[in-house]
Amino acid sequence: MPSRRPLLTVVMIACAVFWLLPAVWVLVTSLKPSANIIRLPPEWIPRPATLAHYHEVLFSSSRTARMGRAFLNSAVVSVGCVVLVVLTSALTAYPLARMRFRGRDVIFALLVGSLMIPNAVVLVPQYILTQQLGWLSTYQGMIVPEAAMTFAFGVFLLRQFFLTLPTELEDAALIDGAGPWHIFTRIVLPLSQPVLGALGIFAFRSAWNDFLWPLIAVNKPEMFPLPVALALLRSAYSSESYGPIMAGATLSALPLLVVFLVANRRIVEGVRVSGLKG
Amino acid sequence: MIDPPTPRRRGTLTPYLFLLPGLALFAAFRLYPLLDGLRLSFTNARLGRAQYAFVGLGNYQKLLEDTRFHVSLVNTAFYAVASTLPILAIPLVLAIALDRGVALRTFLRGAFFFPFTLSVVTVGLAWLWLLDPVVGPFNYYLKALGLPARSWLADPSTAMWAIIMTSVWWVTGYYLVIYLAGLQDIPRELYEAAALDGASGWRSFWSVTVPLLRPVFLFVFVTHIIGSFQIFGQVFILTQGGPGDATRTVVQHLYETAFQNFFQFGSASAMAWVLFAVILVFSLLQFRLLRGHTQY
Repeated sequence: MPSRRPLLTVVMIACAVFWLLPAVWVLVTSLKPSANIIRLPPEWIPRPATLAHYHEVLFSSSRTARMGRAFLNSAVVSVGCVVLVVLTSALTAYPLARMRFRGRDVIFALLVGSLMIPNAVVLVPQYILTQQLGWLSTYQGMIVPEAAMTFAFGVFLLRQFFLTLPTELEDAALIDGAGPWHIFTRIVLPLSQPVLGALGIFAFRSAWNDFLWPLIAVNKPEMFPLPVALALLRSAYSSESYGPIMAGATLSALPLLVVFLVANRRIVEGVRVSGLKG
Repeated sequence: MIDPPTPRRRGTLTPYLFLLPGLALFAAFRLYPLLDGLRLSFTNARLGRAQYAFVGLGNYQKLLEDTRFHVSLVNTAFYAVASTLPILAIPLVLAIALDRGVALRTFLRGAFFFPFTLSVVTVGLAWLWLLDPVVGPFNYYLKALGLPARSWLADPSTAMWAIIMTSVWWVTGYYLVIYLAGLQDIPRELYEAAALDGASGWRSFWSVTVPLLRPVFLFVFVTHIIGSFQIFGQVFILTQGGPGDATRTVVQHLYETAFQNFFQFGSASAMAWVLFAVILVFSLLQFRLLRGHTQY
């Protein structure tokens, strides 16, 4: 390893601070009283700082009272999506990695090939299907299509991981008379916790941040997830009212920020391993 | 792909029972919509119209005459091409700097990655505020530096560049991580050998780093082009496709055709398949790259 370079480190810290300025600006704006927000020169420290915009966005004004609800909607949809993606992907990836049966290679090729389908291409037929099921403006109408978008990627990721697991433990369990379900739930899944976690975070991020699908699949304001509620918050206010909008934006960034601070390494490794999908 | 190891069970229903939930989800919400979209593209389906007729290639013919669709294709291609250089270069420079024994590496990598954890709506709103022509800090500091300030998003000649800037800020961290992984796969001995041969830092960058990163460049390039052709959220938040049609993109045009103005599911589906055809070319390229590089 080359030695630590103080000069380069200082330059890179400056770059990182500069890079984060737009995000800092959002946070700073959300904490300022309305009168101070549009003051020039820009004030980078909110004085006085206030939580009034958060209070308004979460509780008071009728235009924005739905942000709290939107937060809940996003949480339900994202958690539901994580559970569904991890479950179905793991169940599908296991036989593809460990069993031999007719059609295995065709199924795997089909799944990997489907990674090339852009989400925008299935938008209209997916809307029609969701409508026919009576799922517009419902949680399942967001969770299930959202999970289907991430599913094939999950299978790909988990199958690759299952293939790297040593087979000795499974062989031993097989000799002891354990069935495939027992081996899968008691041996394979516990050994796969890191990759299941990475997939879970990936699925959470996709669902939490997705905008286009809920924009068309939800038309009841009380069912909007955060990105849609935020986008509409923008048109609810005149352009000078950046305070509540930035408070909403900050709130929507918080959960992933927390996940990110706790699991920085794992997220980045997950992106690295996946590389496949943004 | 490596072939799975020897089978455990044979001739039973077990594998299919495992596959059932996932494949049901996949068939109903991925495969069926894909094929149904192709079918719809040959019909005059609309929202709420129960009966509709097959119109052959009518929708595709209409697209040949739809000047707004052409404009949106050109805009999307412009966005993809114009953003390619910054997307290839900025994360690369940052990754190389972080790879050169910088302290606080994990923290710095996290700082650049952070915007990628935000939704496109949050990113769009942040930049909408930064670029506010009257009270936004961006124009204020430009003026302070003696540079011309303008309404970046309201000016047809700068609106797309403002969107590109927003996107670069959003995704740089993602590509940075990909580059860092690629850089770490380059054996240190090659740099040591280059140094022994008297190569300068610049020389070893061009003779060692660039050639060995070639597959990563290709991966970043293709991934970026595929993503670019689907750009929607940034435009929706920042400009709504304006001023005029200066930033109208394909997915936005598709969205408006299907869900805002005319609810024409047939022509929107035809647009979707034209888009799919364009993306497929790049996807197949990416697929070939991935097969050669299973570590990603």
